[in-house]
Amino acid sequence: MSMTRAELQDAAAKAFGGDLTPDAAHSWNLIAEMGWLMMAVPEDQGGLGLGREAVGVIHQALGRTLVAGPAIAQMLVIEALSAAGGQDELLGRAMAGEMMSASLTEGLSAVPDADRASHVLRIEAGRISLLPVEGLVLTARATWDKTRRLFDVDVGDAVGVVLAQGDAATALADRLSALRSVALAGDCLGGADAALAMTIDYLETRRQFDRPLALFQALKHRVADMKTALVAAEALFWARAGDEATDAVAMGTMKAHAASVYRLIAEEAIQLHGGIGLTMEHPCHLFLKRATLNAVLGGDADQWEEAAGRRALNA
Amino acid sequence: MSDALDSLRQEVRDWLAVHAPKDWRARSTSEAAFLELQRSWFATLAKGGYAVPHWPEDWPGGGRSLAEQKVIYEEFARADTPRLLLSFMSTYHAASTLFEWGSAEQQQRYIPRILEGEIWCQGFSEPGAGSDLAALRTRAERKGDVYLVNGQKLWSTMGQFADQCLLLVRTSSEGVKQAGLTYLLLDLKAPGVTARPIHQIHGDEEFAEIFLDNVEIPVANRLGEEGQGWAVAQSTLSSERGLTLLELSARMRGALWRIGDLIRANGRGEDAGVLRDFGRLASKVDATCAVADQFLASRIAGEERVGDASIVKLAYSRTLRDFTSLGLRIGGLEAQYHAPITFGGGMETGNWMADFMNSYAWTIAGGSDEVQRNIIAERLLGMPREPKNWVVKEGAA
Repeated sequence: MSMTRAELQDAAAKAFGGDLTPDAAHSWNLIAEMGWLMMAVPEDQGGLGLGREAVGVIHQALGRTLVAGPAIAQMLVIEALSAAGGQDELLGRAMAGEMMSASLTEGLSAVPDADRASHVLRIEAGRISLLPVEGLVLTARATWDKTRRLFDVDVGDAVGVVLAQGDAATALADRLSALRSVALAGDCLGGADAALAMTIDYLETRRQFDRPLALFQALKHRVADMKTALVAAEALFWARAGDEATDAVAMGTMKAHAASVYRLIAEEAIQLHGGIGLTMEHPCHLFLKRATLNAVLGGDADQWEEAAGRRALNA
Repeated sequence: MSDALDSLRQEVRDWLAVHAPKDWRARSTSEAAFLELQRSWFATLAKGGYAVPHWPEDWPGGGRSLAEQKVIYEEFARADTPRLLLSFMSTYHAASTLFEWGSAEQQQRYIPRILEGEIWCQGFSEPGAGSDLAALRTRAERKGDVYLVNGQKLWSTMGQFADQCLLLVRTSSEGVKQAGLTYLLLDLKAPGVTARPIHQIHGDEEFAEIFLDNVEIPVANRLGEEGQGWAVAQSTLSSERGLTLLELSARMRGALWRIGDLIRANGRGEDAGVLRDFGRLASKVDATCAVADQFLASRIAGEERVGDASIVKLAYSRTLRDFTSLGLRIGGLEAQYHAPITFGGGMETGNWMADFMNSYAWTIAGGSDEVQRNIIAERLLGMPREPKNWVVKEGAA
C-alpha cells in the first residue's frame, strides 16, 4: 500500500480528531473530499487501490468520534459497482459522494440514510442489483443509537441494474460481507479506544475519599483488563483486515470479537463514570448504544462464532 | 530479507524432519523419561546450532536476529517438538544476566557449561516475598572472600534438578529495601544447600524450595556490586519476554484440534452452544497470537513501551485459562477421572483437569496477573501509583 497505515491514521485523526458526533452533512463532505470513498477501488477504476486495511483505518477514525452517516453502506455499494465492472458512471458518482446505501444486515432492513440516497443495493441469493430509491417505500426505524438513521426498504417489483448473478453474485456477497465486517469492526475499535481514554481521564480527575479514583486498585485492574482486551482485538483486526485472503467467516468472527470488546468497554465506561454516566448530557451512553447496535449489524456473534466453531471443528 | 527468512525456514524444516523426536509424548510418562528426553533433545539442538539462537554471535549457535528466531520457533511449534523446560532458565535467564553483568572471567566460566547441559534455576521468591520480591530476607554476610548465606527460597522452577542457582540475597537492611540486595551465583552442590520438590495441584513437580544453611559463596561469584542486586535481577526477569509467548501462543493455536476432537468424541458436533464457544475461543487464540506477533514487531522496530510485555502475558494467561476451561467443560465427568500426566507435555495435553490446573502456572508465576494489571495501569497508561507509606504507618502504630 502506497500510503502507510500510520500516515493514513494521522490524516484521519486530523480530519475527525475533534469533538464527538460532528455535524453529519459536514462529515459527509469531508469523507468525500478526503477521497475515503474511493480508498479501496482499484486505480484503473479511478480509485486509490488501498485495500481493506485502509477501510479499517477510516472506520476506526469515524467510530472514535461517533461520526453519523452511511459511510459503511456507501463503501459496500462502491465495492459492488467496482467488482461488477462496466458501471463507471454510477461508480464515479458514488465515489464523488452521491449517497447510495445498502443494508447493514440481511435483506433490505437497516439501510442507513435511505431517504437521502439516490440508490440502494439489494443482495439476494444469486443476484445483486442496484435500484433507484425513487418509487420505493421507505420506513424509518428510529434506533436508540441516534448517530445512525436506519430504514426498512420495500422494493415491490422494482428490478434496477443487475450487478452480479449466480456464482459471481455469491462470491461478491461474501466479499461485501467481509468488507462490512472490517468497517464495523473498525468502528467498534475506534469507539472502544475513545471510551476507554475518556474513562481513564475521568478516573484521574474525579476525587472521592480524598484521592483520585484512579488510585483505587480495584478500578485500575478493570482498566488494565479493558486495555488488554482492546489491544488483543486491535491486533486481530489488523492481522485479518490486512490479509486479502481473509474470508467472510474469519472477518465476521473478528468483527464479533471487536464488538464484544466495544460493548465491554462501553458498559464499564458507564459504570466507572457513576451517576454522571447515566445522564444524556454525558457522552457515555452514545458509545453503549452504538456498541450494542454494531454487535447485531453485519451478523451477530452467535451466527459468526457458530460458523467459526464448525470450521475449526473440520480443520 | 524475506528470501533469506524463507530459506532459513526450509533449512529448519529439513533439519527437524531428521532430528525432531517422534512419539515423545507417549514416552514422557515418568520424571526419569522426561529428564532423559529434555537432556538428549537439548544436546541435539546444541549440536545442530538451534539451542541458543538468541545469544550474541560470539557464542556458538548465537547471533540470530529476532526475525530469524521467530522463524525458528514457529517451525519448532509446527513440528510439535518438546519445549526446552529443563534448560530454559539456563539459556535465557542465566545467560542473559551473565551477558549483561558478568565479567569476562565469569562468562568464560559459566557460559560454555550451559551449552554442555548445565542446568540453572532461579532463587528469587521466598515464603514472605512473592509479588513483593524486594521484601526478601535471605541474608548474606561478608566474611573475607566469601558470603555466608542463610534463608529459604521458593518456587524455583526445576530447582530440584539444577546445578547452579541465580540467587538474590539481602546484604543490608539500611535504606529502601531494593538497595540492600545483592546478586550471587550459587553452586547447588555446596554444603548446606537442600533442594526439595514442591507438589503442584495437578501432580507435577516443576518447582522446588531451596534451604540455605550457612552456605559459603565466594565473593568472585557476585554479579554486579554489593547492593546492586535489584538492577541485576531486572535483567534476569526481562530475559524471557517476547519470544516465549510467541511460541506458546503458536502452540496453543496448534493445539485447538484437541478440543475439536473432544467435541466430536463426545457427540457435541451439532451443539450450537458448544460450537459458538469453540469459535469464540479460536478467535481469542488468534488474537493472542496476533498480540504476540505485534509485540515482537514493535520490539524489532525498537518501539516497545513499558507495559507492552505485560499485555502479551495477560492476554496469553487469560486465553490459556479459557482454552483449558472449555476442554474441561466439554470433557465432562470423564475429565474428572484421574489420568497420568505427561511430563513436560506442554500447556495443552488433552488431560483436561491437569491442563486446567496447570494454567494457573501462567496466571501466577512470572509476575501474577494482578502484578501485570498494575504495570499496565500505572506504567503503560500512566495512572497514579499505589501510595507506599502503608507499612510505615503499621510500624508506627
